[in-house]
Amino acid sequence: MQNLKDFTANFPNDLQSLKLGFLLQTQRSPSSQNSPSIMAESICRTLRDGSLEGEHAPALTLTIKDTAASPFGFDVFAYVLSQLSSFILEGKSQSRSVQLQFIRHSFLPETAPFNIGSSLSDAERPMNSTVCYRIQILDCYTDPLGWKGKLVESGNAMCISDEASSVTHLCKDVRDLDNLYSLILELGKGLAGQGKAHFSVAIDSVNEMLRHASLSRVAGLLSNLRSHDQISCIYWLLHSDLHEVRVTSSVEYMSSMVANVEPLNPSASGQRWDSENVSLLKQNFQKGKLNVRFKRRNGRVRLMCEEFHIEQSGINFTPVSSEDGTINQGLLPKVQFSLQLSEKEQTERAKVVLPFEHQGNGKPMQIYDGRRSLEDNKNEATLASTGNLQRNEASGEGEIIYFRDSDDERPDSDEDPDDDLDI
Amino acid sequence: MLPTGNCTFRATGIVKPSERERVSLVDALMSATKGRTSSFTRNVLSASSSQTPGIKCGPNGTFFVSSGISDLDKILGGGIPLGSLVMVMEDAEAPHHMLLLRNFMSQGLVQDQPLLYASPSKDPRGFLGTLPCPSSKDDKLRNHDPEQEKGLRIAWQYKKYFGENQQSFDGHRGSKQEFCNDFDLRKPLERHFFSGQRVDCVSVKDSPNLVALQDRCTTFLAQFRRNDGSISSVGRIAIQSLCAPQCTHSNMEWDVLSFISYLKSMLWSANAVAVVTFPPSLLSESFCKRWQHMADILLSVRAILDDDKELAKLLTGYQDMVGFLNVHKVARTNTQVPLILEATTFSIKLQKRRFLVLECLNQAPIDGSSGASYGTSGSCSGSSKTGTLEF
Repeated sequence: MQNLKDFTANFPNDLQSLKLGFLLQTQRSPSSQNSPSIMAESICRTLRDGSLEGEHAPALTLTIKDTAASPFGFDVFAYVLSQLSSFILEGKSQSRSVQLQFIRHSFLPETAPFNIGSSLSDAERPMNSTVCYRIQILDCYTDPLGWKGKLVESGNAMCISDEASSVTHLCKDVRDLDNLYSLILELGKGLAGQGKAHFSVAIDSVNEMLRHASLSRVAGLLSNLRSHDQISCIYWLLHSDLHEVRVTSSVEYMSSMVANVEPLNPSASGQRWDSENVSLLKQNFQKGKLNVRFKRRNGRVRLMCEEFHIEQSGINFTPVSSEDGTINQGLLPKVQFSLQLSEKEQTERAKVVLPFEHQGNGKPMQIYDGRRSLEDNKNEATLASTGNLQRNEASGEGEIIYFRDSDDERPDSDEDPDDDLDI
Repeated sequence: MLPTGNCTFRATGIVKPSERERVSLVDALMSATKGRTSSFTRNVLSASSSQTPGIKCGPNGTFFVSSGISDLDKILGGGIPLGSLVMVMEDAEAPHHMLLLRNFMSQGLVQDQPLLYASPSKDPRGFLGTLPCPSSKDDKLRNHDPEQEKGLRIAWQYKKYFGENQQSFDGHRGSKQEFCNDFDLRKPLERHFFSGQRVDCVSVKDSPNLVALQDRCTTFLAQFRRNDGSISSVGRIAIQSLCAPQCTHSNMEWDVLSFISYLKSMLWSANAVAVVTFPPSLLSESFCKRWQHMADILLSVRAILDDDKELAKLLTGYQDMVGFLNVHKVARTNTQVPLILEATTFSIKLQKRRFLVLECLNQAPIDGSSGASYGTSGSCSGSSKTGTLEF
């Protein structure tokens, strides 16, 4: 994978793609073999392909959900962002640029979560006016409610050295979602230039937006973004345990793919700190499971599952090691008969001797009449042949007491004419 | 017994007549009617059905309107009764409710029935471009004959019945529009059907409450007041995703409920039907239940998993299915006899990716009550309208 120098060589005007470079470098350093995962790749590929032309279909959206038990949503988000950016840079995707709105984590080079800051500042170069940027950043992190701005105005604080870069725009009021929406569109259109070029939108945290505005406003913003013609795909991160179920399901309702980051051993969370629990907990903080539900266009839902490991260099995906089988949930239609057998029932079924089964043990053929085990039959054999009262001594449950109509009748013979059959 | 000429009326004597029934009693008295078929039925004006296409006369003095899907009409006992409210419970993971809505809306437009469409998107008119066009009969019928010749030779004279139906189709095509068309989901509806005054679109997204929608419904339904005698025209209301999360009214539960009850009361006295879809997974439990109780006809759609091995083993035809449709409630007006369905779960399939069909689930051989006759005989006869081909 290219390192930073190659970036500057190939895309000299693409200054701001360097900001993405930091992500790419961490994900794909030559030292760690990052084997491409099938499923995470397919998410990215689906997002890359974007929405269909000419359809009134909205843009594809991805919700990445995580919980406190497995808090790696941000890593997955960064992974998706880097993958899509590489697709964009290679020119393979429907969207030509990314609009990144971050509100919770900072993506500015000084405070970027990965240790890149210094190499980025080296690579800064003067900009061309006709440059076509690949990324725009909407910064809702520095001053979301406009407090710093107010402090500056009232003279209580020094002026913030605003790095007036034309790709980072500061948003001073995240509560005004209409303004936010128009900002996003403006920046996106600026990125894409004239014409029908698409762009994609990455929102770092929906939780923060929900903190400042009501669910219906945020949902309105997201659905407006979705139905906009020029947006090809949107993806965001949501921490699902910070909100009510209703909020999470509303956000999922609006997305066409949902990626759940889950712990490998869900039982380990929330219990006492026994020695085994601690090791399980440790495991949960290094690895996890990613469950994805794709809503396909024909109306069917595809489930995929993969494991991931968090390492120094980033996140690695591997296919699921153990067969879970619990992926398929109970969507079976209601049947009036239970078609499954429990374990106990299965073993008992194996024990049942079928009536005409060849017993093959050298003893004379005994027809199992369903009431007793074969061993007891030996004693009863003589009784049975005379056809008198038959009692069941082994089990005291039910009895069949048979009274003969008359003594003239020939005794019931258990000699079945089919006795000579060897089934 | 009344002395007027050929108009006799035998009272049902069981049910206290409600407003609507009183009106139709008056109708029966005032107008000339045909002979009764059986006792204990109300005489109704059946002549109106032939004048206005798209309305079918049903038992007990009800009139039916087609839902756009012939299988669904059969399941509901003939169609959607006039004045009823159909609720469709959506599944958050699948857009099948849109299929139902599209067919419903197209059916109305093709039969020249005015339509009011409300949706939470900014531009509801855009959706009209995705409505399906009725397929021409020739395609469907012609295709089936050569297919059948190739494969299986059926040693039974089904063809003579098939031929009959063909004749009947040809004969009636000129004179009468069909009650229910087959829609080809890949062909969009011709523009002239929904341009102009026939379609009214409302967006509920930005309105602070449902008052605006309520007003629009009122003005729309005022055109279809039930009055004496003939039904001049029938209206359709389609509301998509009421209570979707992006709408402001999604927090106002009681307001939404009062809107629905208002709509229901307006429908009772109008010659119209309404189809409302809503996402139950995003609502609170009690609210959802109340909503379900308000429906006259309650359906729900469910998504199915792709590549589900267990389901594939359990059901035949799993590969073609795109979802499930459950029928929870069927409206029965003017009668106390309920409709007991043989099966309530149906699979939604797209034949040739174009035609929507609903089939009973053909389960593992143990369960004999799933009524395999409708679905399978439908597919082998090529047209599921014919009742004569049932075994």
